[in-house]
Amino acid sequence: MNLKETCAIVGVGFSEFGKKVPKSTMTLTLEGCKRAIEDAGLTKDDVDGLLLVLPSQEGERHGWVCRTCSHLGISSTFSAGLDIGGATPIAMVQMATMAINAGMCNTVVCCYGWQNSPMGIPLSMPPGLDFTAPYGDLAALPFKAQVARRHMHLFGTTSRQMGAVAVTFRRHACMNPQAQMYEKGPITIEDHQNSRMIVEPLRLLDNAPITDSGGAVVVTSAERARHLKHRPVYISGMGQAHSGEFMRPWRDPRYPEGTFEGGKAAEIAFGMAGVRHKDIDVAQFYDGFTILVIIELEAYGFCKPGEGGSFVEEGRLELGGELPSNTAGGLLSEGHLMGMGHIAEAVRQLRGECEERQVKDAEVAFVTGYGGSPHEYPISFSYSTLILTR
Amino acid sequence: MVGKFEGFEIPKPIPALTEDTKPYWEGCARHELLIQHCQDCGHFRFPPSGLCPKCMSTNTEWVAVSGKGQVYSWTIFHYVYHPAYAKDIPYNVAIVQLNEGPLLHTNIVECNNEDIYIGMPVEVIFEDVNDEISLPKFRPLSK
Repeated sequence: MNLKETCAIVGVGFSEFGKKVPKSTMTLTLEGCKRAIEDAGLTKDDVDGLLLVLPSQEGERHGWVCRTCSHLGISSTFSAGLDIGGATPIAMVQMATMAINAGMCNTVVCCYGWQNSPMGIPLSMPPGLDFTAPYGDLAALPFKAQVARRHMHLFGTTSRQMGAVAVTFRRHACMNPQAQMYEKGPITIEDHQNSRMIVEPLRLLDNAPITDSGGAVVVTSAERARHLKHRPVYISGMGQAHSGEFMRPWRDPRYPEGTFEGGKAAEIAFGMAGVRHKDIDVAQFYDGFTILVIIELEAYGFCKPGEGGSFVEEGRLELGGELPSNTAGGLLSEGHLMGMGHIAEAVRQLRGECEERQVKDAEVAFVTGYGGSPHEYPISFSYSTLILTR
Repeated sequence: MVGKFEGFEIPKPIPALTEDTKPYWEGCARHELLIQHCQDCGHFRFPPSGLCPKCMSTNTEWVAVSGKGQVYSWTIFHYVYHPAYAKDIPYNVAIVQLNEGPLLHTNIVECNNEDIYIGMPVEVIFEDVNDEISLPKFRPLSK
């Protein structure tokens, strides 16, 4: 059963977001839901499904989904809490599509809320950190520094090439007044090279900022979508892959070192949508770190393994380029909207709402998510993809 | 100020022993690097777990490995993620691939940061943290 274009995204919305927003994870979640429902031109009584990102780094996940339903006053017939990190927003849209097709609900809100410093909530430390933290290895960035070093070793990728990703996405953020880095203005490769080292070989500008935020999208059946406020954005392809390939000493022989089992997430989505790479008008790559974009371009087949560095250096990701990407600024410059921002920007592009940063006649968008357990043992990853069409 | 919090020092995190990891850390305390070895397919696995991810066998033995390997990747920390490490900056964190296969996060010791390279041959040494915990670290392989 191919679910291509059986469902559509009909609303997107975000809470106030920024480096520090003095609101709870729950309030950020509720605000995201409210704005997305309003954007769809619906009321909460039209919603009968709720999917949520579990606030996994905080000790507040117990009963999270039903408590959120109660706070929203929504009577849901299908709900779940998911945690595959930054791959979760896309996974929720996929699950909503499946649940609607299964007849369990008609209109699903997919939402996350993220408060980096929640008051009164103890941080929970997963046991997998026992093999990293005692060596001074903490947080998400350091493992990407290990990956970047290995990529540089294998393929000759350079810090300037990673910088090209940051420069391009900042340029796009400067056309997005909502972006966290909008006021900071554009950056150059030299700014990137002069930014301080965080964990060598990654610099400050290789890294997404910290963002307190909440955001949501509304998914409903294609039939219902055609009678709502906005032009429907159809869910045409979806895929996932979960693996530990990069640092696993034994591997799937189909994926030699330098390639990624995560590529399966794109193969499945492209197959479902019946489109090819050259059909993609606009892309939103999960970009918590610059190196990730280079690796994803390779993993998802936009270039060959090892060629991601030169691919980004030649301006292909810029508006007006061959593959305009992260047109709102991405995690790197719009803010760390956990990948929900990537879905929302793809929707805005396909609706034609992006004004200065609009990709002309955008009809097909590719969106990726990335998460999992990338900095605790066993090191492992979750990849998710969406192909959206208008 | 960094490294102190209202007059007391924040210690570096130390591993908590679990049902799965206790034999590993007990081996380290005796200065033995023990790795789980699948008795059915021969795969060495890390981190410790209840079954072999290659063949799903639960027949497992803990074996002392050579403690020799190579640097697989490495980084230098310039940022204080945890106050207990402030005085160590800049410090290295490397991933070492043991000759038997598994990859381990570690620190390279007895070596300048700028002399570390991918493929560098290394051997394990143990740093005693307390009576129960010793951390396996790696130094350049002596000729």
